[in-house]
Amino acid sequence: MEKKIVDHLFRHHYGKMVAILTRFFGLSYIETIEDAVQDTFIKATLQWRKQLPDNPEAWLTKVAKNRTIDLLRSIKAEKNRIERINSGPSSIALNELFLDYEIEDSQLRMIFVACHPSLKPQEQIAFALKTISGFSTKEIAAALLIKEDTIAKRLQRARKTIVKNNIQFDFPPPHAIQERLHRVMEVVYLTFNEGFHSTNNAELIREDLCGEAIRLCKLLIKKEEFRSGSLYALFALLCFHASRLKSKTNESNEIVGIREQDRSQWHFPLIDIANSAMNKSMEYEDLSIYHYEAAIAFEHVKAKTFEETNWKSILKWYTKLYELQPTSFTSLNIAIVNLQLNELNTVKKVLENLKIKDLGQRQYLYFGSYAEYYLKRGEKALAQSFYEKAISKTSNSLEREYLRKKLAQLKS
Amino acid sequence: MKDFMMIFIGADYQELGLSPEELQGRMGKWMAWGEKMGAQGILKGGEALVPKIKRIIGKDRTVSDGPFADSKEIVGGYYIVTAEDADKVVEIAQDYPDYDLGGTVEIREVMVFDR
Repeated sequence: MEKKIVDHLFRHHYGKMVAILTRFFGLSYIETIEDAVQDTFIKATLQWRKQLPDNPEAWLTKVAKNRTIDLLRSIKAEKNRIERINSGPSSIALNELFLDYEIEDSQLRMIFVACHPSLKPQEQIAFALKTISGFSTKEIAAALLIKEDTIAKRLQRARKTIVKNNIQFDFPPPHAIQERLHRVMEVVYLTFNEGFHSTNNAELIREDLCGEAIRLCKLLIKKEEFRSGSLYALFALLCFHASRLKSKTNESNEIVGIREQDRSQWHFPLIDIANSAMNKSMEYEDLSIYHYEAAIAFEHVKAKTFEETNWKSILKWYTKLYELQPTSFTSLNIAIVNLQLNELNTVKKVLENLKIKDLGQRQYLYFGSYAEYYLKRGEKALAQSFYEKAISKTSNSLEREYLRKKLAQLKS
Repeated sequence: MKDFMMIFIGADYQELGLSPEELQGRMGKWMAWGEKMGAQGILKGGEALVPKIKRIIGKDRTVSDGPFADSKEIVGGYYIVTAEDADKVVEIAQDYPDYDLGGTVEIREVMVFDR
């Protein structure tokens, strides 16, 4: 038997089915729907062991439809709809929801629900990962480095808020779309970052998060009224970064710094996609942090070797970025670029004015930068103590190994 | 050659709250195992069982629905394979995918009656 199931089929189908069923039943049934969809997969797991259906996706869809009818039966209030669902306009309506175009439409609605302003930002991400992307509570906890209990509570709160505020499974009104899209893009961006810069050592989860962010971004771009310069720039940014994802770790699962990365391993088709998205983004008037971040990512992938990196241009983009978003993290990056340019006085000045606390889990980068600064100044003892501090601040074993290696080089 | 039943106990996916991605991964392993045994011509049959249990006990034929024991003790399915002896089945059972979830494989020889 040479039949093969598409990677992530279950996870992607989870989001699709939850979205379709929610469109039909309404958001107030979301918990029941999610449980029902989960059951479908357990059923598939047992049944397919024996024989894989000719078309697994069609099988899942069929079972989801049947599940829909089961659900109708179990939800008393909906009882008289059963008759109508087996024949008549309702059955047509239900069948239509399973058309590709409508599936995408339902998923987009779910994205907007996840980013509804009445949900707290942390709840939005958890809800999106669960309901749209089909991650389990445990997987979300692992991806975000947060306790499983906390994630479960956030999900519970999000669902409650949705029901309590009677949020509709619909797009925001036209005048509010751009503003809400802003938050949608943020959630996509944060999801990607969790994967790309994650302090998590499970490589699989990292790739999955990045893949999900790109998938959602693509889904948004398909709809003409959602397109904007920012959205294209965000898509470009994600693709530029993603092209380097594989080369960020080596076979023994150690972090490889951009200096040592094997540039021939970068995924060039993705870079092409990113380039054309970048060009597209110029056709619109809006300007966002994504434009600058994409420009920076582009400078990195453009350089054939690390030595050829155009740090001056990168510094220019970071300075522009800082004007839009004056965060400590941007400052830290400015310091790192200045390190490359050997502008050591500037490095010191920028680092000294940084609020370390704002850097959260990425504080180790701050100490790592100080270490490199002292190394360049020839003050080995200080460099060493900062490497040690950086090592103590990272929770990521790969990063830790990377820093340890640098420290060992310094000592030898 | 004799027939043996491999009985799978515990590791109920529903209860373990596995994610869709994990379920797909598990299923892939089960299918690979099934295909491997199929290719060797040793797999004779098998079924997965629904975890809902009904028991009829005693001379009064008392019917109860459980829950009975720990879910760790619930039989989730079985395969029947042909092999030289039980040790060979132990080898076959190395590929059972759910040991890490606390699952158990019990091997029992199917009795053959003299004619």
